[in-house]
Amino acid sequence: MRPPNQLPGSVPARIVGVATHLPDRVLTNEELAAQFPEWPAEKILEKTGIRERRIAADGETALDLGYQAACKLLDREEGLREAVDFLIFCTQAPDYVLPTSACILQDRLGLGTHVGALDINLGCSGFVYGLALSSSLIASGAARNVLLVTADTYSKYINDRDKSVRTLFGDGAAATLIRAGDGSCQAALGPFVFGSDGSGAKALIVEAGGFRLPASAATAEERTDRFGNIRNQQNLYMDGAGVMAFTLREIPQVYAQLLEKSGTSAGDYDYVVLHQANKFILDVLQRKLGLAGNRMPRRYEDVGNTVSSTIPLVLAGLFEGGKLTAGTRIMVLGFGVGLSWAGGVIQF
Amino acid sequence: MSEFSEGLAEILEVEAAEITPDYELGAAWDSLAIVSTIALIDEVYDRSVGVQELEDCKTVGDIQRLVEAQGA
Repeated sequence: MRPPNQLPGSVPARIVGVATHLPDRVLTNEELAAQFPEWPAEKILEKTGIRERRIAADGETALDLGYQAACKLLDREEGLREAVDFLIFCTQAPDYVLPTSACILQDRLGLGTHVGALDINLGCSGFVYGLALSSSLIASGAARNVLLVTADTYSKYINDRDKSVRTLFGDGAAATLIRAGDGSCQAALGPFVFGSDGSGAKALIVEAGGFRLPASAATAEERTDRFGNIRNQQNLYMDGAGVMAFTLREIPQVYAQLLEKSGTSAGDYDYVVLHQANKFILDVLQRKLGLAGNRMPRRYEDVGNTVSSTIPLVLAGLFEGGKLTAGTRIMVLGFGVGLSWAGGVIQF
Repeated sequence: MSEFSEGLAEILEVEAAEITPDYELGAAWDSLAIVSTIALIDEVYDRSVGVQELEDCKTVGDIQRLVEAQGA
């Protein structure tokens, strides 16, 4: 029986709900196989666990996807829109370099102008960082109802002839409402652990288009890599092997760190929700962390890797399945581009 | 070595008996094979090897030598 007390480093706060939104267009394995004959549909499914992924339409931005997810969430209950007092928008494909996309989202959602709003530029670790920020805002009394929206359109960075990343990534968004706990509920967020390793910056990168390497004719020139993938410096590049090596090296340690910081053990968790990179990495982590399959929920087959939305997409499914009831305790672990990682405990 | 050889055979999509030190990796040594091998080395030997060095391997023997060098 789990102790009912709050964990050290936790904040009384509750995840009220999660809503998700995926763009309409579906990119199937069959379509990829038609373009890359050496990469048959069954092999893609077997190796990555992904059958299809969603692709945002031309002119449909991450903000558009995030807006849809947020509307779905806020429309669930009377008064939710008015209650939001802080908005965090996590994306790596903002509408503009400036202004802040979260400000635009505040306006589109019809939130009050007293609302705080900011963007965070993170990928696979973004949701957990967002939760940590939300819980800190709540702990300090700076906010009571934080709307955390994660949304990305990596497809817009990906070269159509780069089968490595085209196979793995999908577009999507999620909106999560985090509310300050009142005295009565036992729900809590935290503790959190964080990690950053900028020496791995080039492992997952869109190299050109920022100020370090402005876009130019040279950066638009396509090159073929040693595996036959074609991309230019304005496209997304992923060193899959480097990311795998990083994951194997760091994530088991982060898991252990979080157990130690929270004073819990593996058996204290109903679920461990990892960033849903792909089946392969999750199989490896399941083995390394010693987790039973039924305690490590997955979702990637129909959506691929939706970057900062992978964890809330799993949470939405758990909510819908009635799995996240009072007393449920889960761990969330996001890791990837940056290199960046974060882990946290969620007590429902 | 045999669990590792069997794992390599599966990654390279050949019969286990074909995995000799001289076996040439060739075109099968793609990004998926390399990622799979990193995971295999971790699982079988609880070790990590340099990604660049692994990518540069040309034969199964090269991989084995790389793994052994890590264990030293």
